[in-house]
Amino acid sequence: MSVLYRRNIPIAIVFVTVLFFLWDFFVTVPGINTKSASTILTNWGTILTAFTLGFGAVNLFMLHGKHISRRTKGQWPFSLWMLIIIALFTVVGVSTGATSSQYSWLYNSSYFALSATVYSSLGFYMTSGIYRALRAKNIESGLLLIVGIIALARNAPALVAAFPIIVPWEAWISAVPTTSAQRGIMIGAALGTLALGLRTMIGRETGFLGKLTEAERG
Amino acid sequence: MGKESKTIWDRLEDIPREVLYGILIVAFIIPMLFPFGFPVPISPEVQRWYDFIDKLPNGSAIMIDFGYSGGGEAELGPFAVAVYHHIFKRGGLKAIAMSTSNEGPLLFDKVIAEVNPSQYGKKYGVDYIHIGYIAGTETGMAGVGKDIRATTTTDYKGTPLDQCSIMNGINEAKDFSLLICYTTGGDQSEGWVRQWYTTYKTPYLCCPIAMMVPTMLPYQKAGQIVSLCSGAQSGQMELLVHVPGRGIKSADVITITHILCLALVVVGNIAYFGKKFSGGK
Repeated sequence: MSVLYRRNIPIAIVFVTVLFFLWDFFVTVPGINTKSASTILTNWGTILTAFTLGFGAVNLFMLHGKHISRRTKGQWPFSLWMLIIIALFTVVGVSTGATSSQYSWLYNSSYFALSATVYSSLGFYMTSGIYRALRAKNIESGLLLIVGIIALARNAPALVAAFPIIVPWEAWISAVPTTSAQRGIMIGAALGTLALGLRTMIGRETGFLGKLTEAERG
Repeated sequence: MGKESKTIWDRLEDIPREVLYGILIVAFIIPMLFPFGFPVPISPEVQRWYDFIDKLPNGSAIMIDFGYSGGGEAELGPFAVAVYHHIFKRGGLKAIAMSTSNEGPLLFDKVIAEVNPSQYGKKYGVDYIHIGYIAGTETGMAGVGKDIRATTTTDYKGTPLDQCSIMNGINEAKDFSLLICYTTGGDQSEGWVRQWYTTYKTPYLCCPIAMMVPTMLPYQKAGQIVSLCSGAQSGQMELLVHVPGRGIKSADVITITHILCLALVVVGNIAYFGKKFSGGK
């Protein structure tokens, strides 16, 4: 019975749902309109995702609540601070609306500024990284150095104006080696995704079912 | 054991990161305070973006995804501002925005405040709108593409869509002549190709952060993206639209910091070879 509930029924649901979406995307049969049903299912997905945001918040409260109650060394003050901030955003958002001037002020003066700061700090690491990594120590690193210099120069507007010859060089690098490599990566990932999807559909991939016993795994 | 004295090559080969960071800050601040006004040539992709919007027939609807987070605002915000200026200046277009990022509605507010649509006589709900954050990324894109009102019945402020005249006759992806996405995430930039271009052949303009451009190039080469511009090119768009702003200011900063990086690469290599030829390891 456990195998039926924990493995077979969920796999059957996944199988039927995937088959339905594949049918909806690839097959058109005159007289049969699957659009409304697929729209409903897609919107269920959107609602479920929105629900998981709330679920994530509850999970954060449980996890960090434990840190606070146990006074985990080096952690609990940060956990407390985080829960206070979550509560503050929630209270202001729910009471005044997520597009109110109060909520916008809170967002702009805290999270937005911090987020922009963290992201912009990448520039410092990149500068240090470029200086240390782009050295012609061998043929491979020499090639990387040449490509790096061309890419850097191409992205500096004034250098492009001064040396327009950089443009076709960079265009060739982007169009041929970069695109070829990216295509290879993308096709590989797509084939992997297809294989994973197929395995999930036929019940060979059971990771999404959570922890199963040996018998349940089959 | 005595401490070995460092040669000039050693010092140049291993400049402390604190020094590099200090030089970078100076290189960043000077052009911000005293813009040099370096030339900013227009790239073909930015011109293509501009031309595509310019040639849209009157009455065309554009779906605009604010799919970025606050971290990317400094780069993508100026581009979004310049494009809104273009849409409003050009006139006769419906700008319908949504967000696949939960910060999107707040960032839309920032962009609109900077554009000030009333200077073009444009009104919210009539000429432009934001239909809110749609959760689920690709699922959300697919849902909106199939039936907007089945996914959301109100705009981001809670006003019913049917009360907004801009939404008259706009129900699904097929009603849009163009899709624009500003994003800091691959889920969005690639998701729109899969969910809208592949399914409905909606022309797609994509503006990710600069470091994402190489991953999106294959889509542009395959014709699935009409134009792929990074947010770092916002100065070029501002020049085309004749509304100089944050993008032009940052163009000088980009030039100076990139020249600094090139100079550091040269110094690092001279030091490496200097040390090698002077007998060091």
